Amino acid sequence: MQDAITALINSSDVQGRYLDNASVQKLKSYFDSGEMRARTAIAISANATSLVTRAVAQSLMYTDITAPGGNMYTCRRYAACIRDLDYFLRYATYAMLAGDPSILDERILNGLRETYNSLGVPIGATIRAVQAMKDVTTDLVGAEAGKEMGVYFDYIAAGLS
Amino acid sequence: MSIVTELILNADSEARYPAPKEIRIFQDYVRTGEQRIRIASILAENEQRIVQNGSAKFWERCPVTPSNSGNERKTASCQRDQGWYVRLIAYSVLAGSEKPLEEIGTIGIKEMYNSLEIPLRNLVEAMRCLKEEAVSLMSPEDAVEVAPYFDYIIRALS
Repeated sequence: MQDAITALINSSDVQGRYLDNASVQKLKSYFDSGEMRARTAIAISANATSLVTRAVAQSLMYTDITAPGGNMYTCRRYAACIRDLDYFLRYATYAMLAGDPSILDERILNGLRETYNSLGVPIGATIRAVQAMKDVTTDLVGAEAGKEMGVYFDYIAAGLS
Repeated sequence: MSIVTELILNADSEARYPAPKEIRIFQDYVRTGEQRIRIASILAENEQRIVQNGSAKFWERCPVTPSNSGNERKTASCQRDQGWYVRLIAYSVLAGSEKPLEEIGTIGIKEMYNSLEIPLRNLVEAMRCLKEEAVSLMSPEDAVEVAPYFDYIIRALS
């Protein structure tokens, strides 16, 4: 994976250069947003379980998917679903701290769509749950931090569709 | 790799959120961001000076060495390498971690310079001279941040 800092270092190193002004400005705004990133990670880690519960309640619980014949019917499938949403939330938090989405590709998205298709997991419903997670996370952490987290939730949704 | 990636990978290997201690390390890192940028820009702006003055000092202490042999090509490539190490140190200061320096510049360093027939002991002395020149341009506070990276190269060479 890379983060906001190593992404800039790597692209400078390929050219054998120090960071140029534009890169330094990007780095500066990353450092300036650091306190917000730390606070957001603390809030999400303290509320991870309830964020997943609320996201499921908002998007999946009262739809056909939890009824007999649906893909979340049987406790085993329900458990697998919330486990995956838990992963999405944790990796989105990592990516937010890093200021870079590459860890999402490496640890979540590569091959996920194919896996879900072969398991019969509905992509559309998964994306609705990710969007709901974005909403409930924003409710918790506020607009500014919610917008930053939204970048990574959207990245997951885009990678699935 | 930066200090941020390091702590994320650590947390991920245990499938957990960053622990309070890790968050504190992260906060300390971003709070010193301005200092890191300042140090990196001092190194960038003064690379030539650090290398030129460092070489002069080095040749005084160690006159018989490839970069002082009268072969201009050797001098130029030694000084180019020294400039690269100053740049890698600037990266490491920004990343808050010796990893960029290690990944780009110290893994295999002994083998490479041995095969180039550069005496490692001389190279160690050259690095010491670069370090002295670099820290002389900085406040004590900044010098404390940058010096360990020069020492890291020296350790990798010994």
